[in-house]
Amino acid sequence: MQVHCICTHPLMRFPPSSSKFLRFSKHFHSLIAPSSSYSSPNFPCFILAATMSTDTLPNPSHTTTQRPVQVAKRLEKFKTTIFTQMSSLAIKHGAINLGQGFPNFDGPDFVKEAAIQAIRDGKNQYARGHGIPDLNLAIAERFKKDSGLVVDPEKEVTVTCGCTEAIAATILGLINPGDEVIVFAPFYDSYEATLSMAGANIKSITLRPPEFAVPIEELKSTISKNTRAIMINTPHNPTGKMFTREELDCIASLCIENDVLVFSDEVYDKLAFDMEHISPASLPGMFERTVTMNSLGKTFSLTGWKIGWAIAPPHLTWGVRQAHSFLTFANSTPMQWATAEALRAPESFYVELKRDYMEKRAILVEGLESVGFKVFPSRGTYFVVVDHTPFGLENDVAFCEYLIKEVGVVAIPVSVFYLNPEDGKNLVRFTFCKDEGTLKAAVKRMKEKLRK
Amino acid sequence: MEAKLSRAAKKLTTSPIQELSQLAQSCNAINLAEGFPDFPAPPHIKNAAVSAINSDFNQYRHVQGICDHLSQMVKETQGLDINPLTDIAICCGQTEAFAAAICATIDAGDEVILFDPSYETYEGCVTMAGGVPIHVPLDPPHWTLDPSKLLTSLSERTKAIVLNSPHNPTGKVFTKDELETIARACCSQNCLAITDEVYEHITYDTVKHISLATFPGMQERTVITSSLSKTFSVTGWRVGWAIGPAFLVSAISNIHVKVTDSAPAPFQEAALTALRSPPEYFQTLKSDYQSKRDYIVKLLAGVGFKIQFIPRGSIFLFAELPEDCLLSDVEFVKKLILEAGVVAVPGQGFFHANLSSNGISKGRCSYQKRYIRFAFCKSHETLAAVSERLGNFFNGASFLR
Repeated sequence: MQVHCICTHPLMRFPPSSSKFLRFSKHFHSLIAPSSSYSSPNFPCFILAATMSTDTLPNPSHTTTQRPVQVAKRLEKFKTTIFTQMSSLAIKHGAINLGQGFPNFDGPDFVKEAAIQAIRDGKNQYARGHGIPDLNLAIAERFKKDSGLVVDPEKEVTVTCGCTEAIAATILGLINPGDEVIVFAPFYDSYEATLSMAGANIKSITLRPPEFAVPIEELKSTISKNTRAIMINTPHNPTGKMFTREELDCIASLCIENDVLVFSDEVYDKLAFDMEHISPASLPGMFERTVTMNSLGKTFSLTGWKIGWAIAPPHLTWGVRQAHSFLTFANSTPMQWATAEALRAPESFYVELKRDYMEKRAILVEGLESVGFKVFPSRGTYFVVVDHTPFGLENDVAFCEYLIKEVGVVAIPVSVFYLNPEDGKNLVRFTFCKDEGTLKAAVKRMKEKLRK
Repeated sequence: MEAKLSRAAKKLTTSPIQELSQLAQSCNAINLAEGFPDFPAPPHIKNAAVSAINSDFNQYRHVQGICDHLSQMVKETQGLDINPLTDIAICCGQTEAFAAAICATIDAGDEVILFDPSYETYEGCVTMAGGVPIHVPLDPPHWTLDPSKLLTSLSERTKAIVLNSPHNPTGKVFTKDELETIARACCSQNCLAITDEVYEHITYDTVKHISLATFPGMQERTVITSSLSKTFSVTGWRVGWAIGPAFLVSAISNIHVKVTDSAPAPFQEAALTALRSPPEYFQTLKSDYQSKRDYIVKLLAGVGFKIQFIPRGSIFLFAELPEDCLLSDVEFVKKLILEAGVVAVPGQGFFHANLSSNGISKGRCSYQKRYIRFAFCKSHETLAAVSERLGNFFNGASFLR
């Protein structure tokens, strides 16, 4: 039996919710600067291309004739990301970018120097596919400190090209077409895309403001013996929510009762401000059914290095490693050596990291509140979501467009993180992984120019 | 819990190449199995990477300059016009570019033609995407393409042909005639071509690498995948690319962004320096590798291997076991590791039983267990050490009599 996309009938690609995507993507079309590398008609093109092999694409500037073959049907969810689009627009308008989640300050010197040393020492060739032994060991050691769990670095740790690839490898390695997977909306956009590529049947449970608490009754009625896996992201992007012990206990007992796997994305675990971060794998009965994913990038402000990992019991690790070996085969060697160093940083590094980010959070949150947003408490990550409706724009995309062009600040419209974009149209996400000067400048611009 | 594995994952197995590498490491054997150099990467490129790290090029990025340089290089070497804004996607190595190209184009049941012997990853990738790999055998001893074998393998389900040239494991560089055959087949069948051209700058004698995309009707249906790895001896940096028509590249790029988001940032910066290397760099690359090729051909022929085909490109030599050797390739390699302290790759892993041509008897397939792949991307000292160890090994080789 082979992996394949379940939606083979063309009409199945246009259920009512998809039409919202088409309408939604027209908003993006108006946001795209003409010079951007990845132009917007891509999304409608895939719909067309997936179902009608002989139509030409609506892009007259390319002198290509009849499309020889269509792109694969699995690509419906694969459009240019909102992050790239917003960043292009930000540059065009000279806007301060509080949209894309990477720092405008750099990583610590000791980690960079370790990478440089590795390059000079000639560590530039293929590393073992699932990670250099020293890094696997460092990851296991760090995980023990954080969660109390003892894992075998050789059998239970897989290094990947960033946490994004850990997610892709986990999903492609462990999910069959037609498998039911539960996600909590809003969710990081790669989840839906990759689940789609694996042919999963996605069930979304919406987390709602102000606390974005898990709706337990809805979860109980959604999860069943047919559920293959549930995706958890804690601390949560974009809301900053942290899953509480009560919520995780409940999820755990439902997973055990229904024999469901948990895929846990914990990249922001070191940015847990208002409560202790809890790894689902550490709950009783959970390690054997959980893949715990993390990375170097967010903790060490080196998002472009692409070193991530997945920790799971051997029978699940095997699936992750198989997929990984076809997706990227190996990870950047010098960066792995440096990551091993990074993970052995003293506790003081993490204490200072948290303190720094809490100061930044304070600047941004106070600023957003004073400007007139309804701000929802962010307990972790470097994101905060706000309700923009006091400013009278039609939806989140329109608001973000207005914010860039008229105010000179970038935020991300959150509706893209829902299966049904309507659920998120009142919310936008700001990031505070920027230096204080930038945060203050952004707040100043909003105070001066943002009018209700 | 094992039941939780996806069906695709259950079918796949660990890379035999990696397993042998691990055995070799535990025996301290000289590794002529995995295709990466044991000599340092070029200093100017390493310095560029170090500079990039120091200059804070450490966050997610897409370095458009890479596309600009590649566009220029492809124009100069192949004569193709590539739009750097729309026709190139930067990926985490050629591996990811290929995986993304497959995922972008292959639906369940689509057939994908692969030329046998072939690098093990292609089949696994096609299978993972739900495609059906169809193997067209190249004919020993010179690994020539018989057009009739290709033509009988085509069907209305053929979605793509995968072409790796210069070729791993044989070192073959597909000839103009063979490329024409493949191009005509693609056009008449209206299918795609996905090429792996990682050894594009490593060709020998006067052989020139010609990209399939240069043939009539091919540019609009071909995705070229390649990388820095082999050309610049940085296999561990994971910077590669896919070049092709905008609609395909855009799909590939969108997949790449969801699978890994970005290739390592400092190495993308260093790629700019690499791709700006002067013509002398590429000439030296070729001549250095050619002398290594000549050395290893002479060495292995000297100890009794049958070398009927001398590599015209890539960093591999596909040598046939001596006539009087009764061992299979796997048995021979195990002996080689344990007794000679040299490791190579048994060729059978590159051949696939599911040969699409009819009427190939088991007897005729026996050649599939007679080949060993040696990588010669090693320093002269390493090759000299191999020479000594093999000399001793073959002198005492009773299994040959």
